[in-house]
Amino acid sequence: MTERPWMEQYPADVPKEIVDLGYSNLPDLLQDSVDKYAKQTAFTQVMPNGMNGSLTYAQVDKHSDSFAKYLREQLKLKPGDRVAVQMPNNLSYPIVAFGIFKAGLVLVNTNPLYTPSEMIHQFRDSGARALVIIDMFADRLPEVLGKTNIETVVTVKISEFFPSVVAGVIRLVQKVWSRTLPKITVQHTPFQQALDMGSKTTADVPSYYKDVNLETTAALQYTGGTTGVSKGAMLTHGNLVANTMQMIAMNGKFIRPGVEVVLTALPLYHIFAFTVNLLGFYHVGARNILVPSPRPPGNMKRAFENYKITWLSGVNTLFNALLNERWFIERPPKHMVASAAGGMSLHDSVAIKWKEVTGTPIVEGFGLTETSPVLSFNPLGGKSKLGSIGIPVPSTDIRCVDEDGEPVAAGEPGELVAKGPQIMKGYWQRDDETANSIRDGWFHTGDIAEMDEDGYFKIVDRKKDMILVSGFNVYPNEVEELISSMPGVTEVGVIGFPDEKSGEKVHAFVVSSLREPSKDEIIAYCREHLAGYKVPSKITIVDELPKSPIGKILRRELRDGAIASDSNTQSKGA
Amino acid sequence: MNHLMILAEEAGAATVVNEFEQTLLRILVVIIMFGLGAGLTPKDFGLALRRPWGLVIGWATQFLIMPLVTYLLIISVLLPFSTVEGILFVALGALIMGSVPAGTTSNLFTYFSKGNVALSVTMTVNSTLWAFIMTPAALFIYSNLLGLDESLSVPFSELALVIVGLIIPVGLGMILRRYSANVGAVIELIGSIVGLLFIPFLIIIWVPRNWQLLLTTEWPTYVIAIGMGVVGITVAYLIAKAIRLHPMNARTISLETGINNGPLAIAVVVAVYADNAGLDQILLVPALYSLFIVLISTAVTLVFRRANVAAEQKIPSLL
Repeated sequence: MTERPWMEQYPADVPKEIVDLGYSNLPDLLQDSVDKYAKQTAFTQVMPNGMNGSLTYAQVDKHSDSFAKYLREQLKLKPGDRVAVQMPNNLSYPIVAFGIFKAGLVLVNTNPLYTPSEMIHQFRDSGARALVIIDMFADRLPEVLGKTNIETVVTVKISEFFPSVVAGVIRLVQKVWSRTLPKITVQHTPFQQALDMGSKTTADVPSYYKDVNLETTAALQYTGGTTGVSKGAMLTHGNLVANTMQMIAMNGKFIRPGVEVVLTALPLYHIFAFTVNLLGFYHVGARNILVPSPRPPGNMKRAFENYKITWLSGVNTLFNALLNERWFIERPPKHMVASAAGGMSLHDSVAIKWKEVTGTPIVEGFGLTETSPVLSFNPLGGKSKLGSIGIPVPSTDIRCVDEDGEPVAAGEPGELVAKGPQIMKGYWQRDDETANSIRDGWFHTGDIAEMDEDGYFKIVDRKKDMILVSGFNVYPNEVEELISSMPGVTEVGVIGFPDEKSGEKVHAFVVSSLREPSKDEIIAYCREHLAGYKVPSKITIVDELPKSPIGKILRRELRDGAIASDSNTQSKGA
Repeated sequence: MNHLMILAEEAGAATVVNEFEQTLLRILVVIIMFGLGAGLTPKDFGLALRRPWGLVIGWATQFLIMPLVTYLLIISVLLPFSTVEGILFVALGALIMGSVPAGTTSNLFTYFSKGNVALSVTMTVNSTLWAFIMTPAALFIYSNLLGLDESLSVPFSELALVIVGLIIPVGLGMILRRYSANVGAVIELIGSIVGLLFIPFLIIIWVPRNWQLLLTTEWPTYVIAIGMGVVGITVAYLIAKAIRLHPMNARTISLETGINNGPLAIAVVVAVYADNAGLDQILLVPALYSLFIVLISTAVTLVFRRANVAAEQKIPSLL
């Protein structure tokens, strides 16, 4: 068997290697789309009631030039300075992000739902000098700003670039009905004013990025990583350009230039939607349908009704949520080509039902913030394996290695390590952590995976989540997937807890809205399907599970909370 | 002749709302239906027609259950406990009220209840068409059981007016939405605001003028005027739930069944019994029903909305 069996699996229209990226930095990549698709609609933001606004490629280009000039000429930011951006999906997002790249600055994506202490950590750590924030969340700023280096705050309205009457109605509803507009007490510049200032400045925007090359850091993308302390992955222009090209190349003829309409319900501040939707689909001249919030899932109804969606990127939670919406099942989108899943493992049951309902596949991929993010994908034009994260994208090498860093045989579990142009430069100001995760050029993901004979990879679990019961490895995913297949169970989180005899034992947290099945039924079901040491010793029925921004179950928080809530837990002999 | 409201300034003297109010009400209804239409797509109707179960059930609850409920209330409460002379005229009015189809009010409350508006509108059109046969039939059967030999025909023009007044604004709303999702969404918002104002507006023009009527009406009449709506909505909901319709459709059918077209009933009564000595008494239940159904539906809508929120999918923050 060859070392790279997946080489045989690439469909005919997918290159095995991307030799020349063809672009020297992100602004260069963006310019190419504007040259080709200037008059086409690049972005459409759709509110839950169907109100919408749009921008063409030319408009995005013009406004992002203005914003770049504002940052450099008005704010006097220097190349390499960081600008934090904290907003949900909206039309200003691409303008701000692209403006930052064009200005030769560094983008710091920030989750709008962060608490003040999380904001302080991220702003301080990155040393951001300016912040672009949605006005709805600006009430947290007074307690945050003083503890950071932020000098300028730019506020964005959710209705920016909407037709004026519609924007006025949205504003009025926000003020009078939903009351989502807090009074902003800190000094701030409205986004339109910033753009005006920028557009009136005469400066040569290309000169800002003429020295920016593929090695230049483009973004600090924060991630909990393996240690839990949020740190910034330095993603370079080269990382992001390469990953854009890799993702597009992997899908071959299924992404049709200038034709696609992609629904962006995942937040753009997350690396998945950032690279795949914002950069990738922009590159191919697609129309990006931006949904500010997909919660509740009904918020996506009008977007599906009013636009001929052809692509969707999502996480398991999102696909599952849509499949539980009556309006979606009764009138599934008719123009879909395929969907891309990532961020967390896609359940087989969801993938199968999605295919039944929409008649189109979900291709699962895999990646991390540190890898820009795409490492692997199931080739849409080739063999797609259920439950597999696919094969490495072009120019990417993946291995499963043992504790000593030696590759393990096919079919054996080992830590997934990867090499390729999309691997980050390192963690921002954390050389130790960088050295720890990138060894001999291989990025260590902390995920346990297996490769089959065809070169397809399958994630077994997170290394740190593995439970060791009497010397046997228990992978929580396996137990979770089994329990969540029981009717009545909504979600499951499985962790280990210390035990004198066996070292660790299995503890399952189950969300079941109807309190059915019972704990005994769950245990009986597990006994039937799992080896004895994998059967949970404890079951706790909970109302909800702690989740990350993109809906991953946070087992770490379950472990922390498990000790506190132990008194509520009914113990069962396994 | 589409009288929307009757007034009895003095007990026994039925008059209609003045010209201005009537015009205003009509305009409001058109705006509301325009707004409801702007929230719909042809596919919504396609679905209601392709799987006509909801329609069939709605038809049955409308024309079989609702008149039966009315009849049972008449014989169990109204007739045994009333002390008023000519109570059969009141009963006749109640039967007419129970036998007419639903109107636009049900569409509005279905919208606010997060029901299936397309199904609601389709049901209203369907039952209004059927009313030509079914309303006289139901009335004939139950009035005979009461020992009255009543036969009436529903003026076709009244039914046509209901349907035209429904289809045109809804259709226009849908066309506008197709042409511009923004225009559609703004119209829908305006329609729903007007709809919200419509409810207190009806109460404000009704109550002061009929104050005397409210004071002089005896309790069995109240029971029937209120009970028809409450029991109709409840029974239809239970039936819809029992046959496992989706909660959205169950809410729709229950409102569609319990809310009958008050103005239509009044118009029919005025057209058919204009020269009848018992006209005021025949009009009594339709008039009271028209007020109370608005209050009942508002309460039911609040319950339905809460249930809808509770049933909404809670997904973790993807934001």
